[in-house]
Amino acid sequence: MLIWFLPVFLVFLLVGLPVFFGLLAAPGLLLWMNGQERDITLLYRNVYNGMDSFPLMAIPFFMLAGELMNRGGITLRLVEFSQALMGHLRGGLAHVNVLSSMLFAGLSGSAVADTSALGSMLIPAMEKQGYSRRFAAAITAASSVIGPIIPPSGIMIIYAYVMGESVAALFLAGIVPGVLVGLGLMGMVKLMADRYDFPVASRKQTWGERGQAGLKAFFPLLTPVIILGGILGGVFTPTEAAAVAVAYALLIGLFVLRTLTLKEIPDVLNRAGITSAVVLLLVGAAMAFKTVVSLSHAPEIMAETILALSDNPLVLLFLINLLLFVVGMFLDAGPAIIILGPILGPIFTNLGVDPIHFAIIMSVNLTIGLATPPMGLVLFVAASVSREKVENIARAILPFLAVEIAVIFLVTYIPALSMTIPRLTGFAD
Amino acid sequence: MGLLLAALRPLAVMNENVLTLGRTVGCLAMALMVVAILVQVFFRYVLNNALPWPDEAARFAMLWMTGLMAPTALRRGGFVAIDMLHRFIPHFLAQLLNLFLLTISLLVLCVAVKIGCNEVTGFGGRFATASLHIPFSLDFSQWHRVPRSWMMASLLVGCTLLVMVNIELIIRSLIGLLGGYSKLPPIPEAETDELPAGAE
Amino acid sequence: ADYTLRATANSNENDEDYDGLVVFKNYVEAASNGAIEVELFIGTQLCSNGAECLQGVAEGTIDIYISTSGGASGIFPYVQVLDLPYLMADDRIAEHVLSGDFTRKMREMALEDSDNSIRLMTIGNTGGWRNFANTKHRIASPSDMEGLKIRTVVADLPQELVKALGASPTPIPWPELFTSFQTGVVEGSKNGITDIMNMKFPDAGLKYVTLDGHAYMGALWWMNNQKFLDMPEDQRRVVVDGFYALQQATFASPKRKSIAAYEEFVADGGDLYVPTPEEKAAFKEAATPVFDWFKGNVNRGDEILSALETSVAAAEEDINAARDADMK
Ligand code: NA
Ligand code: NA
Repeated sequence: MLIWFLPVFLVFLLVGLPVFFGLLAAPGLLLWMNGQERDITLLYRNVYNGMDSFPLMAIPFFMLAGELMNRGGITLRLVEFSQALMGHLRGGLAHVNVLSSMLFAGLSGSAVADTSALGSMLIPAMEKQGYSRRFAAAITAASSVIGPIIPPSGIMIIYAYVMGESVAALFLAGIVPGVLVGLGLMGMVKLMADRYDFPVASRKQTWGERGQAGLKAFFPLLTPVIILGGILGGVFTPTEAAAVAVAYALLIGLFVLRTLTLKEIPDVLNRAGITSAVVLLLVGAAMAFKTVVSLSHAPEIMAETILALSDNPLVLLFLINLLLFVVGMFLDAGPAIIILGPILGPIFTNLGVDPIHFAIIMSVNLTIGLATPPMGLVLFVAASVSREKVENIARAILPFLAVEIAVIFLVTYIPALSMTIPRLTGFAD
Repeated sequence: MGLLLAALRPLAVMNENVLTLGRTVGCLAMALMVVAILVQVFFRYVLNNALPWPDEAARFAMLWMTGLMAPTALRRGGFVAIDMLHRFIPHFLAQLLNLFLLTISLLVLCVAVKIGCNEVTGFGGRFATASLHIPFSLDFSQWHRVPRSWMMASLLVGCTLLVMVNIELIIRSLIGLLGGYSKLPPIPEAETDELPAGAE
Repeated sequence: ADYTLRATANSNENDEDYDGLVVFKNYVEAASNGAIEVELFIGTQLCSNGAECLQGVAEGTIDIYISTSGGASGIFPYVQVLDLPYLMADDRIAEHVLSGDFTRKMREMALEDSDNSIRLMTIGNTGGWRNFANTKHRIASPSDMEGLKIRTVVADLPQELVKALGASPTPIPWPELFTSFQTGVVEGSKNGITDIMNMKFPDAGLKYVTLDGHAYMGALWWMNNQKFLDMPEDQRRVVVDGFYALQQATFASPKRKSIAAYEEFVADGGDLYVPTPEEKAAFKEAATPVFDWFKGNVNRGDEILSALETSVAAAEEDINAARDADMK
């Protein structure tokens, strides 16, 4: 009986109820109909308890750091540096779009921030050079999913929080898959550029000019070094690293690059605060939803069903990737991880899949779901930044999605891609 | 419709002002979080003397930031939803659907406020926080631990503000349903035009 | 079933808590002839720490919950009496004490302080004894602790103890502890051997363990009082006996589990040090400020400490007499 809250939830989502309310309304309704009113209190309580967490605090911090960097004109420097390196290629700005996202990913943990920061700059520029608007928006959205795969990453912070894994290990494991998505997208851009004769963005830069652009981007590019170096060197924990990133962004914005003024700070806090508040409430609601998932014994049922399909981990991983991809089409990555992680994680760990490896499979797959319709957050953002219709972007993004799906399977079936760096640094065994 | 507009104006003004205050406090809370954690790093790494309170103080600030700033997001249309269906059904039905969804949200929030009141005044609120102390006498001689209810109040306050915003949105939706779009006062910095797609 | 008891433990299925719950469930369901059903929720599905879960117990969303002393200290600060160092000499003393009037005294105090909503059913063990472990060097005397960054939970008493011994208490969340050892954010902790091995801390450099046994890792089993009292007397008897069986199981389980854990620790090249009686006395001496702190700062601390001291003295007398009789 209680298990019916899952389809009810899906219906609520599809008719357009905000995810936050859907996560509470569906289980609440079923608990009430089931006469389990005391558990409605438990539902409320776990929204609060779900948010009251130290590791989660890294999310608002990285949002704030990203917002500060963006205000500080740092994004512009990253784009200029990317342009100095790749602008002369055929399809130059499309390559620049991807490379900027890879660089930006080292500063920001959010795909949405990537889309809005880089999109507002690169989509008009690409249009001016003759790319179609839908293509410009599509490559922006497709490459922005690199943001939460290359560390830092809001999604991996949530995964580590829910599953009790080490944030540092997940961060390290994301580096290669993130770079792989970037290289894959560049490959697709090259194919398309040759076929459709895309424009070059600028003449080939000399190494001196590249060096100069690199120097201007030096301080921003130091951010990931400070974050990862600080964590690996024992100076601070990941949450503390996030706070340090805020201080660093403030420092270089105000004093080193002087691209930020004190007057802008309240607005930065405001924007980062509102975005984080929404994410944190969503995490809380998903944690509450998870409580009812447990009460309904759905995990046991699901585990049995899955293991009945096959006991070959390779086959199951394939099926699970399909499942995750479909879930990612409808549900935001954060709530999907909170609800499904505790159900799926143990099944695969028991089958001998390394927990870190599984974390990366799940995170990469659901992150790519951010760029798939109908519930692709970055598609929405790309649409509002570019004023292009979501449907059109969704069609133009298909070739890039194909590349990303290929990366999902590479990451799934070649554990070394994600596991090598954490192993070499001693963060996984 | 005159009645609805008359009810909307004072509510909109009140929400605007209360939420502005909420955002201001929320921003301060965010700043406090950063400072607390930086102090923690400094004391532990530089002075080799870890402090017990920054962890909890920062969480305290984070919860209040969330409670005070999320209502602004709801008012500006920043809560994530799939709005596909709205595009495929006739305009009038889309408006009715919108009203229905807002009603469900209101229901959820009202239950939350009711439970929240019990929670804050109930047993769980009597737990003491582990490391936050405040003076209980003017000469700072007596310090007591902050009760957990002070932290738990953040979600209650947040839900109360969300109820106020939700009522405003319902009134707006009713006015829209009666054909009074043009008379709706705009919501500052709203993310999306409130008109459902196809209404232009 | 006439009664369904919803029991939760925040640990996992490898933990002593789970062993206890399995024994409890089996006993209660059989002895009540199916009238009582026990539903287990292992992990953090329903609630994830002492404050959250005890709130659930008080208000009836959770029927049975096991907390450590740290987990319950936010509402019943005096339970930290179990964390006071070097009060009970060994398992035999501790088990005797916890099976007797001391537990009843604590039950009475907790009922008073929770408006009769939370009932302490029994005190078992979770993980043996707390020892000092670190990544730097062998600790044989308090002076070896000087300046070490030791991880503690966010609670007063463990932090006071670490400070009294000259080290620096550092609160780190449990999931971040492995990384923190590895990177040197902290250099030591106070844990039982099974937790150390379950979390693979030696891989993160935790190589030195000193078996000072400074605190008994008591497991406090709580139940919603109303739920208990609403049962008829015969079923209450079944539940009480069930908790007795659970307590015995959690007394035994860590002893069995720690054998393999110690062997594995040493085989990995770990340094296991047993302090001499003189060294142990030095630790006890250095830790005395904690007792003053406890009496001065913890509400009803005096009351519970004297109850514990009385029980320990009585237990020592009983056990010595029994041992003498057995040796004749
Ligand atoms: Na990133
Ligand atoms: Na991009």
